[in-house]
Formats: sequence, structure tokens, C-alpha cells
Amino acid sequence: MNEAAKPLSRPALAQPSRRAFLLRLGLLFNAIAAILFAIPVLGYLMSPMRRYAWVSWISLGKIEDFPEHQTRLAIYRNPYTKPWDGKTANIPCWVRRESGAIFRVFAINCTHLGCPVRWFQESGLFMCPCHGGVFYSDGARASGPPPRGLYQYSHKLENGQLWIKAGQLPTLGEPLA
Amino acid sequence: MAWRVGIAAVLVVSLVAGCDSLPGRPRESDRPISPSQVKSFARLYDENCAGCHGAHGRFGAAYELADATYQALVDDATLKRIISNGIAGTAMPAFAQTAGGYLTTAQIAILVDGMRQRWKTGRPLVDAPPYAGPDGDPGRGARTFAQSCAPCHGPKGEGGEKAPGSITDPSYLALVSDQSLRTLIIAGRSDLGHPDWRGYPPGQPLSAEQVADVVAWLAARRQHFQGAVYARNR
Amino acid sequence: MLVEAGAWLDHRLGVGASIREAARHPVPRSSASWWYVFGSCTFAVMVLQFITGMCLATVYAPTADRAWQSLLYLNYNQPLGWFIRALHGWGSNFMIALVCIHLAQVFLFGAYKYPRELTWTAGVVLLLCTLGMAFTGQVLRFDQDAYWGLGIAAAIAGRTPLIGGRVVKIILGGPIIAGDTLSRFFTLHVFVIPAVLIAFVVLHLFLVLKLGINEWPMPGRIVRRETYLAEYHKMVTEDGEPFFPYAAQKDLVAIGLVIAALVVTAAIMGPIGPNGEPDPAIIQTVPRPDFFFLWLFSAFALLPPWTETFLMLTGPVVAIALLFAIPFISGTGEKSFRRRPMSVVLLVMTFMTIGILIYLGTYSPWSPHMEAWSGTPTPVDYVRGRTPLELQGAILIQAKQCRNCHSLGGRGGMRGPALDDTATRLTPNQIVRQILEGGGNMPAYGKNLSPAEVNALVAFLETMHPGDEPPARSSINPAVAPSY
Repeated sequence: MNEAAKPLSRPALAQPSRRAFLLRLGLLFNAIAAILFAIPVLGYLMSPMRRYAWVSWISLGKIEDFPEHQTRLAIYRNPYTKPWDGKTANIPCWVRRESGAIFRVFAINCTHLGCPVRWFQESGLFMCPCHGGVFYSDGARASGPPPRGLYQYSHKLENGQLWIKAGQLPTLGEPLA
Repeated sequence: MAWRVGIAAVLVVSLVAGCDSLPGRPRESDRPISPSQVKSFARLYDENCAGCHGAHGRFGAAYELADATYQALVDDATLKRIISNGIAGTAMPAFAQTAGGYLTTAQIAILVDGMRQRWKTGRPLVDAPPYAGPDGDPGRGARTFAQSCAPCHGPKGEGGEKAPGSITDPSYLALVSDQSLRTLIIAGRSDLGHPDWRGYPPGQPLSAEQVADVVAWLAARRQHFQGAVYARNR
Repeated sequence: MLVEAGAWLDHRLGVGASIREAARHPVPRSSASWWYVFGSCTFAVMVLQFITGMCLATVYAPTADRAWQSLLYLNYNQPLGWFIRALHGWGSNFMIALVCIHLAQVFLFGAYKYPRELTWTAGVVLLLCTLGMAFTGQVLRFDQDAYWGLGIAAAIAGRTPLIGGRVVKIILGGPIIAGDTLSRFFTLHVFVIPAVLIAFVVLHLFLVLKLGINEWPMPGRIVRRETYLAEYHKMVTEDGEPFFPYAAQKDLVAIGLVIAALVVTAAIMGPIGPNGEPDPAIIQTVPRPDFFFLWLFSAFALLPPWTETFLMLTGPVVAIALLFAIPFISGTGEKSFRRRPMSVVLLVMTFMTIGILIYLGTYSPWSPHMEAWSGTPTPVDYVRGRTPLELQGAILIQAKQCRNCHSLGGRGGMRGPALDDTATRLTPNQIVRQILEGGGNMPAYGKNLSPAEVNALVAFLETMHPGDEPPARSSINPAVAPSY
């Protein structure tokens, strides 16, 4: 491409004439316009990266709904949604009530590649259907390829309810707080 | 010319109409349904029960469900309770969503109804000991055991030729509930050759008291494990 | 009348001559071979994909709350919707297969060598576009596999050092897999990648016309920068034939056959999916990618965990860079595969590796069978004649989910060893240790089993030796003469 363009453009630019000036001015204007155009386009496409207010406190329901020494599936509506998200904004998580006020809330996503781990209360293990990651009831890695234990949500007990800080898909780059 | 167009039209129409009977056309039965919407007894049983209770309710490691005597012995509420909440202290897990399982109330009802329909085939039981009853007396139980059970299970329940393996092994007794022992004595396990209450020996059916007594005698053989005791270490 | 209209058009457009010239451009007699039809076939299938894709877009609802329903509508309600979906889905498979065959043929025949480096480079872009269309297309088939496939993509992206979390959000278009994510992939699948695809197809074809179709490689005929162009020119002028109809007739036959095969396949196999509703709250799901990414899925299971992040992030970059670099690494020299043994070995190894990984991926022996514990009965032979305690052990093998990873009688999980001959490998003490402490990729069950349960499991497992094999014994015991 360049080779084809060279013989044409070089003499035109070399002449210190009005035509060359106009050509340069045109190129400059177009460069500026391109930047002006690119800023909103890129800003639009990259906007998910810049927003930080994804996470907020969400109630998972009454404390009594979670029996002691048991792990239960809880489903919450993601705080950031669009009207057309449908069911994809219903996010599940595993709630372990060790005893009394001691809770652990695990993300559903395996720490290996994000598949949904399933709780088996009989053996007290979480198993992942994708690559065989296994975790103990406290979320610690038991076997398989996961690089760490299950992601855990920060949580608090308030007004007789269990609250978690949630709003984004946990990954190794941004595990839950 | 016109007749060619006509033939072509007929061909096209029949081709398009024929498309609907092609093998690749998705059948209504292929329509994906969410696990909580599964309504077929066969599928629910095969996915949730067959593992322990056997492919058709027989020859499983756990209790035989396809046994007319057993089905006549238990009532719907009991079956529903067992499936929903499991049996504490045994390997029977809880399947209801309310108890941490994956089945809905409707699905458990389908399981109960399906079992009744398929396997509750016999006439109602006449003078069988009831499913549940008052506790028995271990002392009398020892006599009943010696008379009715020992011929197969050995004088101390240590096992015999017809029934190998101890039934008084502390580990075994730790894993079964009194109710499971009672159910087993009354309804038997026809698939594995264990008689029901009428067969100890045949012609001398056990009374409700006798059954309770034997259960009490077996329960008295239970030991509390102190720490981790792995009995068969060699 | 048609001729007149054609002449009128040509008078206005003035492209007739160049089209005629392109059609009649001479090709080496040797290259009008059945081996040279795969590029044209890929192109033809791509055009079909455009047509069926446009058809689907008239019904498909590209929003997260409706996409899955609209797929079911296509399958069950829209007249012939299932057929168009089948054509599009299988067309995608056909196109990937044809692209791979085309690539293998070009590689084996040394067609990427001087002066056709740029043609190859454009071809690699087209391969990547095809795979990109396949992946984004799998996302548009918005079902459980699509949802969790996006989860896998996000998890891989999230491993990027420092900026992982931000990359994930750009890919997903937000903090979670939801409406924005589907819209992004819809844009990629329908606008962005097809535009790139068309641009590079034009470039690819332009280069093929400009540089001429590669001649059949002859062992010993060496490509040299100084002489090749003249040699090629001599070849096509002295021993060439016009592309149309001499080479085109084989292309036409092959295209016809491929399209017919595609239509028949679609009619018999039907549409691909969708499977369950993309509702993350339904966790009873076993996500699997479509076959063209299954080999990556397998690789992620088999790579040593400590290499994984590094290889996931650098592997694709290196592989793609290598593909681009091939004509610049070996741009001259022998073209014939008969004189390029290492290239043949490389190609065969690559395809074999991918093939084996796909095969492994189809039954994923590393994954627990999530339903095996409650859905796969204990073999009847292992139930008959067992003592009460052993039977309790058999129940526990099921109830404690051992069966999810261990098979009995060939059924159950394959993650751990089959239990049918455990007693020939482990003494009772070793069985106890293995159960309690785990190890070798088995979780420790110490906290979740009572002593009675362990005793029952050991009692059952002790019976697990085929009749003619003696049970294992401890090495510290004095040897006893076998009794058989």
C-alpha cells in the first residue's frame, strides 16, 4: 500500500506551495477529527472498565432460613441490572452457617474456570463439573486444578438478615473482597 | 409450459411439506426442561434413587423399594417424609429443596405416587406388625432371636452359612436405625432372600411385640465408639 | 434480451473485461486438482452462512431475557426455523472443517512460500475470524453451555496480571454475564467479524488472482526469490490452462457436493441445541464447549496447574504468532511435502494432539459424574451375597459420592481409579489411610466419615478383588505361598 502511495504523495508534499499546505492542513484536521471521534467511541466501549460502583450490600434473607451446620443455595438479584437481563441477573451463591452468627458465603464459580460448583451435603464437598475441582465445606481447595479456595463474599448480619457485598463476577483478577 | 410450472410447484410444495417429517426436526420430547420441572417418575427415580435402591427398586445396596410387602407396610406420609428429610443417622439423604436437596415438593409427590402405582401391588397386609410400635424388651428379644433368627444368623448374630456376616457388628449397628431394623424384620428383602415376618420359620409369623423385642435386643448390642476405632485393622 | 441487458450493464460498469480476464487467467495445469477445491468450498459455505445467518436474524431476539425463547421458537414454531438453524449450526462445523483441510493442504503443498506470504497471512486472519464466528455463534445460542462458556472465557481473562478484572468487564460489558454480554457478542458475530471476514476474503482472493494459483509441488523444484516469478510465468504461459473452466469445473463439482452434504446433514442431524435455559440459578448443569473448543477445554484439565495461567495467556498468542510467521520462517526452498518431513510431522502431530484432546473432551474423564452417586446403581453382583456391613459400605460408596469419581462395573466417574479391584492394590490399612487422608487428587474424607462408616467402606472394598486375584497384603507380613 505504502509503495503505491509514495510516488504520488511525495512530490506533492515536497513543493512548498499552497496545494501542499492544504494537503497538510487536511491531514492534520483529519487526525484531530479522528482523535475527537475515537474518544467517545472508545470511551463508550470501555465504559464497563471505568465504573467502580458495581458492588453493594444485598440481603440474602432471614438468618433463620439458614440452619446451622448446613450449606444452602441462596439466589440474589444482581444490584446492577438492565431490564432485559432476564434470569441472567439472578446470581446463586452458597451460604454455610457454621454455627450461631458464624457464616461463610461462597461464590458459585469454581476458582479454576468459573463453572458452577455443586454442594454435596453427604460428603461435605463442593464439586465442579468441568475439570473436577473439589473444595471442602469451608471453601478450602481439596483437589483438582483450582489455584485457590472458593471465592467468599464479605457478609454481615443486620436486622435479623444476612447481607453480602456482591455485584460482580468473581475472577482471579478481581476476587470478591 | 403451464404444466411444467405446475409440476415444479407441486415438487416445491411437497419438498417443503416433507421437511417437517425429516429426522432432524426437533421432537417435542427434546425440548429442554429445567431440572425442577422434570415430571417423569422414571427419570426422577433413575436420577435420584436408583443409585442406592437399585435399577428397578430391586437388588440395590439399600432397601428394596419394589417390594409389595414394604409398600403395603409404609404409608404415603412416611415415604414422603423419608424422601424429603432423609433418615438422620443413616446414609439416606434429604432430597427436598427445603432440606438442602434438589427436589421440589411436587417432584417428591411424583416419586411417592409412582412407587405406589408400580410397586404397591399386593393385597393389604393381614395381621402384619405395624410400621411403627412401642419399644420392646431386649430380654424377651434374646429368646425370640434364638428361636427365629439364630438358625440363619448364628446364635450371637455373628452370621451363618445362609446369612454370612455379623448383624451385631458394632459398625453395622451404628449405621442402621431401629426403624430400619424393624422394617427389615417385618417386610424382609425378597430380592436378597431375607424372609418377611411370616418366615421365621414359615408358619410361625412374628407378632408385633416379638419384632419390637428383637429390635430392642439388637439395639442393645450397639456400642458407642470412643474416638476413631477402625475395627478391622490388621 | 438478457445479452442486451448484460451489454448495457457492462457499458455502464465496465467490469466485464476484468471479470472475463480473471476467469480466464491461466493456472498451472498441475494445480487444477481435486486437492485445490477446499478454499472454494470454504467460501461457498461462508456465503451460505451469511444467508442462513440473515434468515435467523429475522427471528432471533438478541436480548438476554428473550434469546433462549426465540431459539426454541425457531426450533418448534417458526416454519422451517429448525432447518435454518440446523443449516447454520452444521454450516459452522463444515466451515471449520474445510478451513482446517484447506490450511493443511496449503501447508503441505508449500503454497505459503514466496511470493504468497501475504496470502497465507490473510488466510490466518480468516482462520481466526472463522473460529471467532464459531465462538461468538456459540454464545448467541444462548443456553447453559453459552452462559458457562462465557464464564470460562471470563475466568481465563481474569487471570491476566494487573488488569485482569478490567479485561473481564470489557469482555462482559458489565460486572456479570448478562444482557450487555450477549449484546457485545451479537455485535461481534453480526457486524464486526463478518466485516473483517469480507475484507480479508477480498484481499485473499485478490492475492490469489494476482500471484497465481500455486503449482503442484515437485520434489527438487526449489523456490528461489530470484527466479521463482519467472519460472511461474513460464509455467503458466507454456503449460497453463484458463482457470475457467479448466480448474473451476472441479471447484463447482466439489462445492455442489459439499452443499448437498450440508443440507443432508442438517436434515438428518437437526439443529444444534439449545440446551437448558441460561439461568445461572440452575446449577445442575455440566457445561461443555462445542467441539472446536473442546480441545482447549481438555487442555485446561490436563495442564499442570502451575503452568496453567502462563500457558492460557501466552499459549494462544504464541500459537497465532507462529502461524503468521510460518512463511517468513521458511519462505523459500522445497515445496513438496516429500522433501519436508519435519513439516509433515509437525502437521500430523498438531492435528493428532487436537484430535486426541477433543476425543478426551467428549467424555471428560477428569470430571466427576455429578449424578452418578444417586443415579448409577451398584452392580447387582456386588450386592448379592454381601454381609450386612459390606452392604452398608456399598450404600456409602453411593451416598458419600465416592461413585462420582470412582466407577464400579465400568460405570461412574473416571477421575479416580475404578474400585472393582481395589483390594488387589491396597491392604485394609492402606484403604483406611487413603479414605481418611486423601491424596493423589482425592479429597480427605477424615472429617466427613464416622469410624463406623469407614469400617463399612473398608469391609465392602475388601471384597473388591476379582475371583482369581488374591487380595493385597502388607509388605511387612511374611510371604505366604498362594493357596491357589
